[in-house]
Amino acid sequence: MNLFLLLLLVVVAGAVLSVQAAINGRLGQTVGVLRSSLLTFVVGTVVTGLLIVFFEPAHAVSLLDVPKWQLGGALFGVVYMMVMVGAVPRVGTAVATVAVILGQLAMGMLIDNFGWLGNPAMALSESRVLAMACLALALVFMYRSSARQA
Amino acid sequence: MQASSLNAAAPAAASKPRALLRWLLLPLVILAGMGLSVEAGLLGPLGVQVGHLWATLSIFGVGSAILFLLLLLSGPQQGPALNELPRWQLIGGFLGPIYVVVLTLATPHIGIAMTMVAILSGQVGKSVLIDHFGWFGATRKRVNGERWLALALIVVALVLIARG
Repeated sequence: MNLFLLLLLVVVAGAVLSVQAAINGRLGQTVGVLRSSLLTFVVGTVVTGLLIVFFEPAHAVSLLDVPKWQLGGALFGVVYMMVMVGAVPRVGTAVATVAVILGQLAMGMLIDNFGWLGNPAMALSESRVLAMACLALALVFMYRSSARQA
Repeated sequence: MQASSLNAAAPAAASKPRALLRWLLLPLVILAGMGLSVEAGLLGPLGVQVGHLWATLSIFGVGSAILFLLLLLSGPQQGPALNELPRWQLIGGFLGPIYVVVLTLATPHIGIAMTMVAILSGQVGKSVLIDHFGWFGATRKRVNGERWLALALIVVALVLIARG
C-alpha cells in the first residue's frame, strides 16, 4: 500500500514536469525565453535553499570540495530550459516531452554503457534499445498528428 | 482575380518556413534531452557525496547566475513585467524542486527502473492531456488516431524499460 502511494507520488512528479513545461512555454511567449528561464531558476534556487536550511542534514563533503567538473550540470540545465521554453509553444507540450525523453534515454544508455561521469557501467540491454525504437516511432506519429492540427 | 489567388497563396507560403522551423526544433529538443541526461549523470554521484538538495542547489544557483548575466547583456526585454502577469504563470520554478524531492524520497524504495517508468508515464500522460484540453494556455492538439498509436508505442517502450 505504502509502495503504491510512493509510485503514485512519482507519477505525479512526472506530471508536474509537463505542467512546468507548459506553464513556462506560455510565460516565454509573453516575456521572452530568457526572462521565463531566469524566473524558473531563481525561484528554484530560493525554494531549494529554504529546503536545505530546514531539512538537509549536514554532510562531510561540501560543494566546494568536489572536482569542479562535477558542477557543470547547470550548463545543460540552462540550455534545456531555454530550448523547452522556445519549443513548447511551437510544437506542443506532448511532442516536446516525447522528444526530450528520447534524447534523455539515448544519452542515458550511452552514459550507462560506458560508465561515464563516474556512474557505474551497465551493459546495453536489447529491451532498452527496442524501447528507444518504439519511442522514436511514437515521436514521429505524435509529431505528424500535431503538424496536421497546427 | 489575380489578387484573390495571391491572397490564397500567401498563408501557404508563410506556413512553409514555419513548418521547416518546427522540424528543425525537434533535433534541438532531442539534444536538450540528451543534455538533461548528462546533467542527471553528473547530479547522481554529486548528490551522493554532498546531499541531493545541495546538488540541486548547484544546478539552480549556477543556472540563475548564467541566465542573469545573459539577460543583463542582451539589452532591454520586450513584453510586460513579470509582476504584471497572472500569478499562476509564475509557479514554474516551484515545480522543479518538488520533482527533485519526490525523486530523492522514492528512488531508494522502488528502484531506479520503476522510478523512471513512473516519471515518464506521468510526464507523457499529463503532456497529452495538456495538449488535448489546451490547459495552461497551450494550443489545443486533440488525441486522434495517430496520437493513440503513439501512446500505445510509448506504453510498449515503458514495459520494455521496466523489464530492464
